Order: sequence, then structure tokens, then C-alpha cells
Amino acid sequence: MRVWTMLMLAALPIAAQTVDLTKPPVSKDPRPYKLPPVFETKLPNGLTVMLAEDSRFPLVTARLVFLAGNKRDPKEVPGLAASVAAMLMQGTSDRTYQQIAEDLDGLGGTLTTGTGADSLTVESSVLAENAGKMLALMADVSRNAVFPTNELTLHKQNRKQTLMVQHSQPAYLANEEYRRVLFGDTPYAHIGPTAESIDKIDQKALETFRDTYLVPNNAWLILVGKLPARDEILRTVTTQFGKWDQKKVPAYLAPKPPAPKRELVLIDRPGSVQADMRMGRLAATFNDPDYFPETVGGIIEGGGPNSRLFLDIREKRGFAYDVHTEVAPLADGGTFSAVTQVRNEVVADALQGILEHLDRMANQPVERQELTDAKSYANGVFLLGMEPQRGLADKLVQIKVMNLPKNYLETYTTKINSVEPDQIEAAAKKYMATGNDTIVVVGDAAAIEKPLEKFGTVRVVKQETGKQEAARPQ
Amino acid sequence: MRKTAGISIALFATTLFVANLAFAAPESDLHIPFEHYKLQNGMRVVLSRDTAVPVIALYVIYDVGARSEEKGRTGFAHLFEHMMFEGSANLKKGDHFKYVQSNGGTLNGSTHPDYTDYFETMPSNKLGLALWLESDRMRSLAITPENLKNQQEAVKQEKRLSFDNQAYNTAIIDTWPALTYSNFQSAHSLIGSYEDLEAASVDDVSKFFRTYYAPNNAVLVIAGDFETADAKKMVEQYFGNIPAQPQPKRPDMTEPVRTEGKMMTVTDQHARVPAVVMGWPAPTRHSPEFYALGMLDAVLTAGQSSRVQLDLVKGKQSILQFEANPGWPFASLNDYKDPAEYAAFALYKPNFKPQQIVDQIQEEIDRIAKEGVDQAELERVKAVLRFQKVTNLQSSLERAKVLGLFELMDGKPEMVDQDFTNLFAVTSAQIQAVAKKYLTAARHDVLVILPAPPKPPAEAKEGGK
Repeated sequence: MRVWTMLMLAALPIAAQTVDLTKPPVSKDPRPYKLPPVFETKLPNGLTVMLAEDSRFPLVTARLVFLAGNKRDPKEVPGLAASVAAMLMQGTSDRTYQQIAEDLDGLGGTLTTGTGADSLTVESSVLAENAGKMLALMADVSRNAVFPTNELTLHKQNRKQTLMVQHSQPAYLANEEYRRVLFGDTPYAHIGPTAESIDKIDQKALETFRDTYLVPNNAWLILVGKLPARDEILRTVTTQFGKWDQKKVPAYLAPKPPAPKRELVLIDRPGSVQADMRMGRLAATFNDPDYFPETVGGIIEGGGPNSRLFLDIREKRGFAYDVHTEVAPLADGGTFSAVTQVRNEVVADALQGILEHLDRMANQPVERQELTDAKSYANGVFLLGMEPQRGLADKLVQIKVMNLPKNYLETYTTKINSVEPDQIEAAAKKYMATGNDTIVVVGDAAAIEKPLEKFGTVRVVKQETGKQEAARPQ
Repeated sequence: MRKTAGISIALFATTLFVANLAFAAPESDLHIPFEHYKLQNGMRVVLSRDTAVPVIALYVIYDVGARSEEKGRTGFAHLFEHMMFEGSANLKKGDHFKYVQSNGGTLNGSTHPDYTDYFETMPSNKLGLALWLESDRMRSLAITPENLKNQQEAVKQEKRLSFDNQAYNTAIIDTWPALTYSNFQSAHSLIGSYEDLEAASVDDVSKFFRTYYAPNNAVLVIAGDFETADAKKMVEQYFGNIPAQPQPKRPDMTEPVRTEGKMMTVTDQHARVPAVVMGWPAPTRHSPEFYALGMLDAVLTAGQSSRVQLDLVKGKQSILQFEANPGWPFASLNDYKDPAEYAAFALYKPNFKPQQIVDQIQEEIDRIAKEGVDQAELERVKAVLRFQKVTNLQSSLERAKVLGLFELMDGKPEMVDQDFTNLFAVTSAQIQAVAKKYLTAARHDVLVILPAPPKPPAEAKEGGK
């Protein structure tokens, strides 16, 4: 082997001499990409149907999305929508859980349900030849779930255990508290259930929620992939979803979140060897004109390894492995955050450093080059997201749930490219500037409470144990 | 093959894309085209063209991982991976990130027991740039004390974040290999000890680079939208004159034959819910028994109607979440490499004793060994596998990864399709046979991870096992 490789060395290829290895090559023009056209229609019962043909793979991706997210949870039962979603899969008037599971696997596909703050989604992806049968299964779980008692008991038991697992995770704890502080007493304040609210869930609560919100005029059915002919797929959709009665859905008025002020919360997690930090403010909704400047600014600040925070907090100062920003727009609100995890000894320095970066965004225009780079990144990531079918399917869901303009996808790149430094600075003044921000830290209070005190009054909270516990007075 | 947690160590945390490399499957309905060849310096190249979306993935995989580490240098392969982003002859520190991101791309690297990989995904007109970036560091990595120091800190911070501060992960990455493997190469911690990470020197980094990061120890894959002639020309221009090095030797990884299983219990101060890990030494990669094991695993854990889901999560209501794989926790069917195990991880309900969970999982396997699997169930499992393959191979990056792994480990990218054929040829009798021979109660090792009782804050820092 050794002899062989050494011999090869003698035969250096001549072509290698002809390119300048010290510089990156000049690239050709990008090849344009055209999104597949989206056909939209409405059944007489109000169900909107969207079809996008993408025949690259023998797959169909489906989304049945309802405006029935966690924000519709009754105040005393946070987590109800998510439990409805989970229980849809556990048995219908036609099928037991086992039959659903076996039918589903036999089709070669997945069928899952879940909720976000604004929506409840039944998601599926399936081998193309079985798309029709999968739609029948989707319709069955969406319309005919019976919430069997034994399955509900198991669901509640397991949900409590899972909540305990989540409450062992610092990132979950930080996010849970962050939303609670930012949204105060309003429906976006919770990201999951509590042990008490799980106890309150019964069949009747599930049925009431389902019968109120899971109705066709409150839903969109989105199909992307290698679809049967248009009239054939529409026939199937009508058979499965056409005889579903529409019903008036209660109006939703988004309450106003609390006025922003500096809040510094420390969730005591004894034994933590590092501090998980999440800081930021309420921010733009998806269809706010600020959304694009906030997004581009978020990239410059903490989107990926070429961002200011990554290059400074991690690469230069070695405080963190992960430091990034999150722009999280919702239908009637939104949050911006900077997130990191640092070792206990550098908590104050790291926090100080990040806060300074946030204020710099609010007080100084970004540089031209940074701006150009961030735009390329946003546009490139957008394109990469279009490779798998779920990329387009989820974007179509977003357009509907967030009430975005019809041409959102076609104009995305143009809107990113039109962002100017002054717009970013203005958005950063509203959403990134420190002072009236929320800072949540999860860590060992014995080690990090003191260094945090220079940033304000520290409210120390006990790590959740699945039970709500009162804050420990300090 | 079911994933709920899993362990990975990567250059940085990704928040934009979550890639699930699961495993290869389907037959005629999805055929991945490719061609492969070798440069004169020994570098293997795989090209797979698909022009649907104007993007490309460049994937470079080196034939070295954490199992090649030496005593006193645990965690070094991963530390080295970080050093690959610190600059090279024509790239300053930070330039790699800058070039990729400012041209609309994403990148990362990750370290595994038997290989280390790097990727860029870019708009397709940036293929030349991606090749230049990868070639410059393969040719001329810049190794300085400052960069090393900085990455030692980043890796230590990664260890705190992903392991020391998380439930289960330290037990999985440190305790489990030490319990279940005898040979240091497999038994040591992949993330390494703080002591060993600190001890790494600039000389170690240079030596590792010379030994393992040579073109003849690497595979380069381009998947996506490119012109073949162009791509071949550029690959030759950028990589053709990087000199080959003596082919590195893989350390001896032989494990003694296991005659009886071991059981160990640890407490975990971050865990709130108990867990068990079970593992059995498993058959040789790509042997007929290996495929039988793949199907057995799918019967046990794939899809919604798997045995574990229906019998234990639902029936006995004992398990909360589970995952299993040939090669767990670091690998799955695609990147399984000998010697390795079939292992399972389960979070279970506190009203059960760990031994009950172990017995229940073993009973599921014993029942298959005794009764086999009927045709209807086998067909269902095959549908799940076909679906998983098509789903996973939708992106250029996933296609590049699978092709690269099969080229690196087997010299056969065609395994992307062949693997599936082999899996589908497995019969119920073969599944029974592999269960009887390998997955017996006498051969399993068990690690029980129990939540530590709450401690007063004063002594909290002791923790761990």
C-alpha cells in the first residue's frame, strides 16, 4: 500500500497547475429556481385545499392545519390543544390505536399530530401510491377520534412523565419561563402543560375543543408531491373531507401583552455546571413590516457561525459552544432572543458581552458587507429548504396560519434584498435594545446568583418538578 | 432505528436545519444515480447529479474517528475536527464560516467513532468555492497554539452543554462504552476527559493531520446540481496535487468473546425519569446476519406498530420512550462498523423495576426467536423502510452522506440501493436465527440510570455516578 501511494506522487496532474489556489474562484451566475405553482380551491364546507405538484420523489406530503393552537387553551387547562392533538391518534369510531398504527405503517408513511402557539396540525408523508389511503386515515383521525378512556389515562400518565423529562432540560426551563415573563397573563405565555392542568383533562374537554375548532372552515389541507391527476385527487379529497359540517368558530382577539421592563429571572438548578441564558424582548409578527429587517439583523447578530455573537463570544473569547439569536414570529406577537450556555465562571462577562452586542445593533448601523452577507445567507437557506417536500409544505402552512400575502414565497428574496441598515437599526431599537428586556438564566444559584446581581434584581425561582412552586423569596 | 434522543458531537449546534441520517432503503422506485472514481493521489470521489433545485452539497469524509484515539488523548478526534475550521494557508481564522455563509451556504462537521465528516451546502454556482475551501485545509491546515487553546475551550464548553449538564448523556457516552467494551479503542469516552483535552499539544494536532487527513484517507462527494465534466475538472484542479501519505493503520479493536453479560446501576443528578440501556455484541457489517438483525430491529422498533410500541408502551404501559439501533448510540445501519453492538435505550415508568424492563425487552426478542415474524408484519416493516429511504434521500446533503459512507466503508456507493435489496431478502427464519445466536439474555449488558435523590445545595456539585 505504501509503495503504491508513493508511486502515485510522481505523477502530479498537470491540470492542477492551471488554477490559482490562493484565491476563491469566480463563480458563475446563480441558476434561477422557480417554485412549483400552487393550485388553490375551496370545498363547499369551507375547507381550503392547496395542491403543489413536485414529482421528483415518489412521495406525498400532506398537512391538515387548523387555527387551533395552544393560544386557544382554556386558561385553567394549558396544554389542552396539545393533548387533543395527541389523542386524535389513539382511536376512532372506525379504528383502535393498533389498527391506526398498522394501517399507517402498511402504507409506508408517517402520520403525526402536533400544536404550536397558533395552530394544530395533522401531518403526513407517504409513498405516493398510497396517498389516497393516507387521506382516508387523516380524515378518520381528524373527524372521528373517540378519545378512549384507557388511552386517555395512559396519555395523561405519560404526559406527566414527559413533563418531568422536559423539566430536567435547562433549555426547556429557560424557554418556558421566558415566554411566561414576556407574555404575562396572555395566551402565548405557556408552551406546555403543568402537572395540574394534565389532571384536569377529560374526554369532555377534548371533545369540546375538537368540536369547536377542528372544523373544515377553520382548516387548510395542503398536499405537496407526486400527486394523482388534479380531478382524481380532488375527488378523493371531497370523498374524505366533503361531508364534514362547517360550524362557526369563536372569534379570537389577541390580548395585549404586558409593557416591557427589565426582568431578570434565575431558575435554580442545583448541580448545573453551566448557565443557560435566554434574553430578549417581544418582537414583530410575521406580517409586520419590521419582520424582514429583524430577520436580517438577527442573522448579522447571531445567525450561524459568521455572526457577531458567534465570532466574538465563542471564537474570540471561548465562553460558549453555542451562541445564537432566534427570531420567532407568531400570528399576533413574536419574540426575539439571544441564547447561549456558558460555564459558571464567565456568566457575568458573557452576559455583559451579549448585551453590548444587542445595544450595538440598536445604536449603530450595520456595515454594508455584513448586510450583503446576511442577505445571501437568508436567501441561500431559503433555497436549501426547498429540497425536501416538507420545505414547501411547511412554508404554505406558514402563509396560511400567519396570514401572509399570497405571493410571500415569490417575493421573499426581493424583500430580504431590500432591507436597509436604517431599518435594521430601527427594528433593533424596538426588539433588541437592552434595558427593558427579559433575561432568564438556568443554573446553580449558589454559583451564579451573585455575579448576576450587577444586571438587576434577581428573582430566583426553583427548578420546576412538574409541580408549580412558589418563587423563593430572596 | 427509532430515534428519540441520540448522541452526536459536532462543530456547532445547528438551529436552522436538523438532518436525520437514518438509513438506506427502497428498491426500483428510487434509484440514486452516481459515478465514482479515484484521483491519482488516492482520493476517492463520488458524484451524484440531480438538477431539480439549484443547490449542491459537498461532503468530505475522513477515515478516522474517535476509536483511533490513543490513551491519554481521549476526545482528540473531535478536538481536531474543530481545528479544521481555524484556518489554512489561504484562509484566515473565521474565513471558512464567512465564505460559506456569505455565499448563502451552510456548513458543519461531526466526529463519529469511525469517521469524521465535513460538509458545505451552497447555491449550485458556488461549487468551485466549496471545493477550494475543502482543498485548502486538506492541503495546508494552519495549526497555532492560539487556535488550539481557543478550540480546547469551545470543546470543553460543548462537553458541559451536551453532556455534563444533561440527563442521561454522560452515562451514555462515558459509562456505557466503558461497561460494555473491553478494548480501550471502543471503551473510552468519545468526547474525552477534561484532562486529556487540556493535554493536547500543537504537535499532536500536526501529527494527526499528517497521518489521517490525507487525500488517500478521504472520500469526497458532490451531490446536487452540477455539470459532470466541470465538477471533475475542478476536483482535479483543487485536490489533484495534494500529496498522498502512507496509509494509516487502524488500531487493533478486537473484543474478547462475551460469555456473560454485566449489569451496572448509576445515578444521574439531572435525570427525573429512570432509564435502561441494553446491548448485545452484533454480527459483522453486511453479513447475512447483519441484515437479519436490521429487520429484527425494524420489527421491534420501527414505525407506529412496532413490537415495543404496541406491547410495552401500550400493552404493559411500562416504557415511556425508546430508541434502538445496530451501532447505538453513535451509529445506525449505514455507518455501523465492527466491532459493535445492537443496543437499546428506554425511559421507563417509575412504578416498574429496572429488571422488569430488561426482562420485558428480552421477552420481546425471545418471542421473535421462538415464533418468528409473520408475512403481514414483515411486509408492513418493509413499507416503513421504503418510506424512510425515500424521505431521507430528498436532500442533496443526505444523498451525499449516504453515498460517502458506503464509499468510505465498503468502496461501494451502490449499497445505497443494494442494502435495501439485502434487507428485503431476509426471511422470518433468518430473523429467528439471529435473535437466537446474538440477542440472548446471557449476552446482554445492562446499564440502569436512576434519578439521583435531591441533594441539599451544599453538596450538589459532587453528583454524577
